[in-house]
Amino acid sequence: MLNGKVKLYDELGELARYLESAMRKMAEVGAPMAADSAQLPQAAAHLLDLNKMTEEGTLEVMRLTEIIQDNRARAAKDLAEIISILEAVDCQTLSGRLGKTVNELAQDDKHLMDIMTALSFQDLVAQRVKKLVAIVEDVQCKLVELVVVFGLKQDGTAHETQGKAGEMLRQLEASKSTAIKQDLADELLSEFGFK
Amino acid sequence: MPADPNMKILVVDDMSTMRRIVKNIMKQLGFANIEEAENGQDALTKLHAESYGFVISDWNMPVMTGIDMLRAIRADDKLKALPVLMVTAEAQKENLIEAIQAGVSNYIVKPFTAEVLQEKMNKIFK
Repeated sequence: MLNGKVKLYDELGELARYLESAMRKMAEVGAPMAADSAQLPQAAAHLLDLNKMTEEGTLEVMRLTEIIQDNRARAAKDLAEIISILEAVDCQTLSGRLGKTVNELAQDDKHLMDIMTALSFQDLVAQRVKKLVAIVEDVQCKLVELVVVFGLKQDGTAHETQGKAGEMLRQLEASKSTAIKQDLADELLSEFGFK
Repeated sequence: MPADPNMKILVVDDMSTMRRIVKNIMKQLGFANIEEAENGQDALTKLHAESYGFVISDWNMPVMTGIDMLRAIRADDKLKALPVLMVTAEAQKENLIEAIQAGVSNYIVKPFTAEVLQEKMNKIFK
């Protein structure tokens, strides 16, 4: 009976030591985990910025392509009228040459349409980015759950500045406010003697 | 019966870039009477309000997906004969089967070319 109690006491002591050690290890990883989790919304926001940037670029290429298409359509109509006038006054050689030019230019219509359809890459990129953002948000929720369940505390901001991820996020953030525009670049260049 | 160049076409996509691409191709193919909707629900409202001859729709959209819109169209006595072409990034075999079962008129996988869109339209309106 006494031996049994001693054995149970030893086993409980072993279990308590194991739990204490596990809690200590959890506490050690807790701070970086909390810091990493805090970085994730920022990373997700940068991913969404990516969508916005590709969308803006795509819309601009579309706008310019449509201007070219409209200009070409007008030119083709004018040329067709000129050809019919030339044919009416029996200028077959000239109308033939113009007709050939019209046919050659028509090849570009297909190229312009191919440019438009190639821009559908933006939709595919945007869909993948949205899925990545959903994954990042899910990971963040799980990390927060861990932090809450194990009562892990973030000891200041020390961990935020560590690691490759933190450094890259800082660079991305900085690029928003510190990226210089061409006019400022030109100003600096002129200060250094560039004409 | 060949497609009527004056028929009203509804382009349904949550991405403005995709709507613009499809509109541009349709314009080059000779169809200028085109309207847009941002999701399936928006499209159904427009389809009930006015008469359309053809619908080109994406699959993944907020509020109401393209496949749910397709099912709603096929379940509606007034709309069920309307040709619906799906243009989507959902390229799994299961997606295609699901669309066929829901009554899709034809199916295009993104990215696509103008030739593919024309070919599918020719098949739908032959």
